[in-house]
Amino acid sequence: MRTRGAILLASIITGLALGYTVTNIGFGDYAELNRMFTFQDLRMLLSFAGAVVIIVCAFALLRVRRTPGRIHAGVIPGAVLFGTGWAISGGCPAIPIIQIASGYLPALVSIIGVIVGMRLCRWANGRYFHLDRGSCGL
Amino acid sequence: MSTYWPWWAGAIGLALVTINHTLITDRSLGVSSAWDRVLHWRRERHLEQMDEEFTDDQALVEALAAATAEHFGTGTGASTMTQAPYEKSQPLEADIEAAADDSPAATNRRPAPLVTQAALLISVFLGGLIAAVTSGRFHLRYDMGPGFRDLVTANPTAMIAVLFVGGVLVGFGTRLAGGCSSGHGLSGCGRLRPVSLVATAVFFGTAVVVSFLLWKVI
Repeated sequence: MRTRGAILLASIITGLALGYTVTNIGFGDYAELNRMFTFQDLRMLLSFAGAVVIIVCAFALLRVRRTPGRIHAGVIPGAVLFGTGWAISGGCPAIPIIQIASGYLPALVSIIGVIVGMRLCRWANGRYFHLDRGSCGL
Repeated sequence: MSTYWPWWAGAIGLALVTINHTLITDRSLGVSSAWDRVLHWRRERHLEQMDEEFTDDQALVEALAAATAEHFGTGTGASTMTQAPYEKSQPLEADIEAAADDSPAATNRRPAPLVTQAALLISVFLGGLIAAVTSGRFHLRYDMGPGFRDLVTANPTAMIAVLFVGGVLVGFGTRLAGGCSSGHGLSGCGRLRPVSLVATAVFFGTAVVVSFLLWKVI
């Protein structure tokens, strides 16, 4: 059982490290992102894939518990929308934050869009979809 | 020559962030879920309060059960209250293993406190600011850089519209899919969860198609 203070401290350290790492890899740079998605430059793709390989090995060695998750009706359409938005605006949910931190002021519009999109999804799901979507990170 | 980190340094950095977060908090890393909880903080706070009250009630019941057991000398107290009925069939070993893997009861724990999710988002900003300043890349700009200008649009009004629409798609899509590049991509794929593998393949594949369209067609 982790205490509230430990989780808070861990979240701060994670946030600082994530922001620092993602910025230095180049995820906030639209040109770099497009070069990754069009396979012109594999550096960022290898960073991501390499991280996944290391995490898989570490979680297996450390016997990290699996979390529940099922492929519900929202996964594929949601992922298609997310992929489209990521490619055209250059931002997944963490990226507009580091874009602003790097001085790209228009990224504030992306953040407003993310907020609108998330509120819209919760409203639409409650009214129309009624999906038990779960969440990958609590 | 790129001024960004080489791929292996990026891979180690992302992996360390994800592994450390999981080990210390016993929870998956997920930026979109942090966003979602902070945005709906009123409801989340209400749920947290209900959860705390429930925990207090449970602690009271357990204390009363222990005191009763001690008074009447029946042994283990609270644990006797929750024992399964004798007539209930015992699960097979395979069922137990499956439950340990996938049952929400076996693996779900209380969500991280709301304040820690807000701290995570603020810290991402500060970490990005430190990286941009120390690497000399910090410049205040009113555009999204030459890459966006060349591939998407140089028109300021169109830029605002594209960023807004893109943000809405990202926000809606990540919540509908249940995660983003950190939650599904790093944490979920790291645990080899089928839902995360499918989601990551689909959002990455879609981004590849759209990026090729932007680069070669539009």
